[in-house]
Amino acid sequence: MLKLSRLLIIYFMFITNNKKINGKKKKNYERINIKIVILFVNCLKMDIANEEIKEFINIVVSLSTYDFSEYSEKSLRRRLEKIVNDNNCSLTEIIKKIKKNSDFLEKIVRDITVNTTEIFRDPKVWREIEKEVIPKLKKLEKINIWHAGCSSGQELYSMLMFLNEFDLLEKTSSFGTDINSEILEEAKKGQFKYRFNAEYLPNFDQVLNYNPEKEKVPYSKYMFISQQHDTIKINPQLLSKVEFYKHDLVCDKNIFGIKFDLIMCRNVLIYFNNNLQNKIFDLFWSCLTDEGTLIIGFHESIMGPAAIKYIKKGQCYFKKPLNNNA
Amino acid sequence: MNNKAIVIGGSAGSFKIVMQIISLLPKDFNIPIFICLHRLRSARKGFTETLKVKSSIKIVEPNDNEIIEPNKIYVAPANYHMYIIDGKIRLSVEEEINHSRPSIDVTFYSAAEYYKENLLGIILSGANNDGANGFLKIKENGGKTIAQLPSDCEISVMPLSCIENKSADKILTINDIIKNIIIFISLNI
Repeated sequence: MLKLSRLLIIYFMFITNNKKINGKKKKNYERINIKIVILFVNCLKMDIANEEIKEFINIVVSLSTYDFSEYSEKSLRRRLEKIVNDNNCSLTEIIKKIKKNSDFLEKIVRDITVNTTEIFRDPKVWREIEKEVIPKLKKLEKINIWHAGCSSGQELYSMLMFLNEFDLLEKTSSFGTDINSEILEEAKKGQFKYRFNAEYLPNFDQVLNYNPEKEKVPYSKYMFISQQHDTIKINPQLLSKVEFYKHDLVCDKNIFGIKFDLIMCRNVLIYFNNNLQNKIFDLFWSCLTDEGTLIIGFHESIMGPAAIKYIKKGQCYFKKPLNNNA
Repeated sequence: MNNKAIVIGGSAGSFKIVMQIISLLPKDFNIPIFICLHRLRSARKGFTETLKVKSSIKIVEPNDNEIIEPNKIYVAPANYHMYIIDGKIRLSVEEEINHSRPSIDVTFYSAAEYYKENLLGIILSGANNDGANGFLKIKENGGKTIAQLPSDCEISVMPLSCIENKSADKILTINDIIKNIIIFISLNI
């Protein structure tokens, strides 16, 4: 139906354009015709049937441990549309390739995942962590941190810099996990492109240097920045403080066997439906210590049944232990 | 059944116009209005605050999963795509689309699918063609579309690209756009 209506509009445009050439606008005619061709190609490319998406989900579940059935339908569709356009073939053809080649399946899974992170993303959140969470961490003998969906690791490294400023790094162990094994390799290296990250460097100052009375923390304390080589390298001391593992939040549960004092999971759950979000908030709850804190994205919130298991303070969610409802 | 809604897209030179539109809205417009404007990535704060000063209307940068309410203006948060599904707002930090995040196409597309013919789309001044495909989608789904008169725009690329792909029902000055908005709001569809 959609395709048909699009084609009708294009046809209509064609007719009205043809009228125009009888008049004057010949130059315009050519230009618009190119546009029509582009539109035509787009309309053939774009449409993916719901059944194809369902088939894709089913095939992936049957061939691997990945389960996209509770991903937000619209965003999964957008990802698949992008993949179809990038590969220049239909989803049905992609499904065929997936069946034959497990490496290709891994590649498609990586392409579905979104990788966005920044150094000290959302400075306001970090100031709240300073106020609400750091005092709690100071009381602990040992600190365990998990960043679920850490992507290339900028925020986890930011956290380690942050903790070091409060002399807490020594007693910290941190883990970063992501579904995308390729991006984890990047995270392990702790080396990022200057040109993609330079615009976030001011975040560093907003978080660590907002107090003019304190001595300024230079970038060089934690990062070696070379505009010439287009690199930002994280201080090797920090690299040794973090371990990265491949982990799929949808089905891998707690792979660590320990509880965490702080869990970060930012702008990951926005790609899941309500039901799956709730399951994962429950998972985080069970992975947190009784005094533990969960930090989610700036425009995320805990809704649904899991909401009563947390106490919200600004951007921080504190675990509400069971039997403590009185 | 879905109620009606208005969706507005714009980029360079559209901020002032959006403020003007908001300041002239009736007190109980009773429908949701979605606004997706390109802005500098670094300018994350102050945007809705400035809009709020101009009116007593509820203007929010929504959270993911927020349930859409009438009489509220939703502004796509900086650095997030904003889309509509099942009466809720969802956000995403996927790649930029048309070099933009938020992308107007994303918001327009999803609003067109959800509100169908009960949607009024408006495209304002701007410097790229983000929004043109979404505008076509609104039209295909039976919604109404208005582009700002190019000669009235600070930068006319955005409305021009909607006029070129024949997705704009009307091409109007700001005053006329505001009149049309008020008529759209007061009509019972």
